Amino acid sequence: MILVAIIIGCVLGAVIGINLPIISYTYSTYLAIAIIAALDSVFGGITGVLKGEFDFKVFISGFFCNAILSMLLTYLGTKLNVDIYLAAIVVFVGRMFLNLTIIRKYYIDKWSKKFEEMKKK
Amino acid sequence: MPKKMQAIVLGVMCLVLSIGICVQIKTTNNNGKTNEDKELNNLKTQVLKIKEKYNESYHKLTNAQNELEKVRENVANSDEQLKKIKEKIDKYNTLLGVTDIKGQGVRVTVSDVSATNKIASFVNSKDIVMSDVDILEMVNEFKNAGAEAIEVNGQRIIPNTSICYKDNIILINGKKVTSPITISAIGFSKGMTTINRPGGYLDYWLRDTKHLNTTFKEEKNIEMKKYIEIPVFKYAKTVN
Repeated sequence: MILVAIIIGCVLGAVIGINLPIISYTYSTYLAIAIIAALDSVFGGITGVLKGEFDFKVFISGFFCNAILSMLLTYLGTKLNVDIYLAAIVVFVGRMFLNLTIIRKYYIDKWSKKFEEMKKK
Repeated sequence: MPKKMQAIVLGVMCLVLSIGICVQIKTTNNNGKTNEDKELNNLKTQVLKIKEKYNESYHKLTNAQNELEKVRENVANSDEQLKKIKEKIDKYNTLLGVTDIKGQGVRVTVSDVSATNKIASFVNSKDIVMSDVDILEMVNEFKNAGAEAIEVNGQRIIPNTSICYKDNIILINGKKVTSPITISAIGFSKGMTTINRPGGYLDYWLRDTKHLNTTFKEEKNIEMKKYIEIPVFKYAKTVN
């Protein structure tokens, strides 16, 4: 169910995104960092669903707050002439890998159990 | 929270994320093109600025030369000896090609447009279209026929003129010259019609290069612009 929703969302988003106009190149750095933040939130959400700890409020607030905060950090970085967005990327990507590990382990356990059950039968 | 709701929320978030990723990819891909366009526009602006500056300088130079001419005439009118000197200066300026001139002569136009359109794409262009050597030979033909002044596509041929070929471009006086090539010569026009004779270089050129179109015209009044830069002799000294 969740997998189908994710695939439909991605395909629809790609179709809409292709037909949307481009943004100014100056702001593309901000969009990139927002994408990384959103991606981290989505992986966090999937992990939450799998663990049964999914909280709608936490997920939505994380999705938007992380994206906005990372954009603000990038803006601050340009003003201070320090690449602060790199720090945000490191944190988000680190969390993404962590969440991916949890998702991977969840499905490996699930399939292993199914395989063992099939063997017993 | 029911599973259906969770799926919808995640689906919507993925939709937003995909939109962002697609827009970002499109923006990044487009950036290269935008940079090229910007560079092209910058170059165009630079060329226009240089052209404007050149026109302004040329206008100033023409005014200064006119003034100089007036001063010379005034001075020459007051003294017989100075009048002779002025005539000498005019004569040498004409020989150097730094004065506008007009007179009877002939005009040859050679174009290889059809050739370049049809086959130049897969044949070495120098084999089928005109080259610097052809123009050089034609200029020599005109000189042999008694031409007093020669011009190729607005470029006056003076003693220091070079006709060369570089990167598929013919350069005369360092300026790019392209087809159709118009060679104008002032001199005894009837005498110069010999250029169009069978066995002459023009005839040989037309037989050798099949795709050329030529026109040969005698004209009563050909006008030629002066060579703008004044030749400078840094190393050659006059021997008295």
